[in-house]
Amino acid sequence: MKKWHISNLYLIFVFLVLYLPIIYLIFYSFNAGDTMDHFSGFSWRHYGTLLSDSRMISIVLNTLIIALLSSLIATIVGTLGALGIYSTKKAAVKNGLLSLNNVLMVSPDVIIGASFLIFFTFLGFSLGFGSVLLSHIAFSIPIVVLMVLPKINELPATMVDAAYDLGATTWQTLTKVILPAITPGIFAGFFMAFTYSLDDFAVTFFVTGNGFSTLSVEIYSRARQGVDLEVNALSTLMFIVSLLLVVGYYLLGRYNQSRRMQRVKAAEAKINQ
Amino acid sequence: MANSVIEFRQVNKSFDETKVLDEIDFEIEAGKFYTLLGPSGCGKTTILRLIAGFADATSGDILFEGQKINELPANERQVNTVFQDYALFPHLNVFENVAFGLEIRKISKTEIKTAVNEALKLVHLSDYGNREISELSGGQQQRVAIARAIVNEPKVLLLDEPLSALDHKLRKEMQGELRDLQRRLGITFIFVTHDQEEALAMSDQIFVMNAGKILQSGSPVDIYDEPINHFVADFIGESNIVPGKMQRDYVVNFDGQDFSCVDAGMKPNEAVEVVIRPEDLDIVAVDTGQVNVTVDTQLFRGVDYQISAHDKMNNEWKINSIHKTSVGQIVGLAFEPEDIHIMRYHETEDDFDARLETYE
Repeated sequence: MKKWHISNLYLIFVFLVLYLPIIYLIFYSFNAGDTMDHFSGFSWRHYGTLLSDSRMISIVLNTLIIALLSSLIATIVGTLGALGIYSTKKAAVKNGLLSLNNVLMVSPDVIIGASFLIFFTFLGFSLGFGSVLLSHIAFSIPIVVLMVLPKINELPATMVDAAYDLGATTWQTLTKVILPAITPGIFAGFFMAFTYSLDDFAVTFFVTGNGFSTLSVEIYSRARQGVDLEVNALSTLMFIVSLLLVVGYYLLGRYNQSRRMQRVKAAEAKINQ
Repeated sequence: MANSVIEFRQVNKSFDETKVLDEIDFEIEAGKFYTLLGPSGCGKTTILRLIAGFADATSGDILFEGQKINELPANERQVNTVFQDYALFPHLNVFENVAFGLEIRKISKTEIKTAVNEALKLVHLSDYGNREISELSGGQQQRVAIARAIVNEPKVLLLDEPLSALDHKLRKEMQGELRDLQRRLGITFIFVTHDQEEALAMSDQIFVMNAGKILQSGSPVDIYDEPINHFVADFIGESNIVPGKMQRDYVVNFDGQDFSCVDAGMKPNEAVEVVIRPEDLDIVAVDTGQVNVTVDTQLFRGVDYQISAHDKMNNEWKINSIHKTSVGQIVGLAFEPEDIHIMRYHETEDDFDARLETYE
């Protein structure tokens, strides 16, 4: 039998603190009443309101579209940027570019949001979908660069030489060797950018205009008028979706690993014959 | 030379201010096993990179089958490289790695399949096509790297210290296999190593390098038996190097005595260095050999004893003997005139060859 340690107790405590608010929120999404003061009975009522609330659904879609588009474009730009920084020969220029990239990472969202607002109004750019998309792309690029660059640096220099040695052109070396080898980094960058865009509030709050809103901004403005249990229902659904994503990711990893193990075993059996 | 595949003409290479290659001149003949041998930083890998096209010569010409190829990009050269760290593509499996070069050249799927399977068979990895690179051992990765290079049927195969990451036993095995592979394929191999034993065992021709220069080139036997200078004698094998004086042709004086030898062509009374290999020395009773020495240390190595001793002029002598002695004992050393090799100070390879011509 395993020994019971005080550290286990601590772990349980930490997870309780982390998950209790979410569980509380989920619990009250099934409340028949209108507030979180007391639980007056089970009901799907708030889910019904949510599904018939076309404004909320269009905002969810907006948020997803912005997140997908911005992270996709940022991944392309960021990956090219990382490749550019990697191939810069002069150390001073390289460090300069990297620092400029990192400054954007650490500067507060409020400042970035405010500066975008000033920038867009200065250019006479109308605030709305376009301005939100552009600013999301902009703050996602440094994230992608930061996720992809270490992967490129990990590549042994001889691997690129090997590709040339085997007759590949610069383009073939990029598409057949470098990009596939850094794919995990590119995916990580994409998902990071995606989540950053999904839950960004500060920047979006500045650059969004009339008639266009994302989830975080919408929930914030609703919460100011007193929390509506429809928000609870929405949060519950989003929590379940992310939970399913995590489980799916885990199962996919397990599946790939077991398939590889089987292949190794099969190959070994063949050799040992 | 009609048969020359690669030729270097006065090639220099500098990185910033430091000179890595200094007036390199050599010719490589088709179908032979060449080794560039030297300590790390001597420029041997740089020569390989110049041939492969990964680096540019600062000055001088590099010729491939008589054509200057200084400007030809790496992907258009008919040479392939086996890298020190193998440089296999981790996202491709064994088959795809080997097929890479053929796919670039747009060869049909069926032809690729036959060629790759044949290459894998040559390196004894027939059943490994579907394996991931990460599932292979170091020795297996090594073989994949070799298969990936030879499948393209290059005119010249460049090998950059490919065995240095393997353990001793596997290295010995791969040495034999590489030599065998070279004979069967008839491709010119240019092998870079700092391991003199490896170079002697595998090569048709060795270039001994130090500090950006080729000091001596020749067959393993030539280089071992007639090293041109102190560096080569010391780097290749073990050697006893004692200062001496050339009395006249075929007579050398060292350790206060005259000895007959087989070297000539020096000035009378010229100061020289005398080389005698430890395995050429026989331990005999006191005063029955040519030199008397006192044993300082003795090391048992399995096949023999490695004995270190000193003579009355305090020259150090290394002796490999199957007979045991004891520390402090005075013994005689016997050797033949043929065992003595004389080296002049600062003799160039051309002068050395010319001098040998005069009396051999």
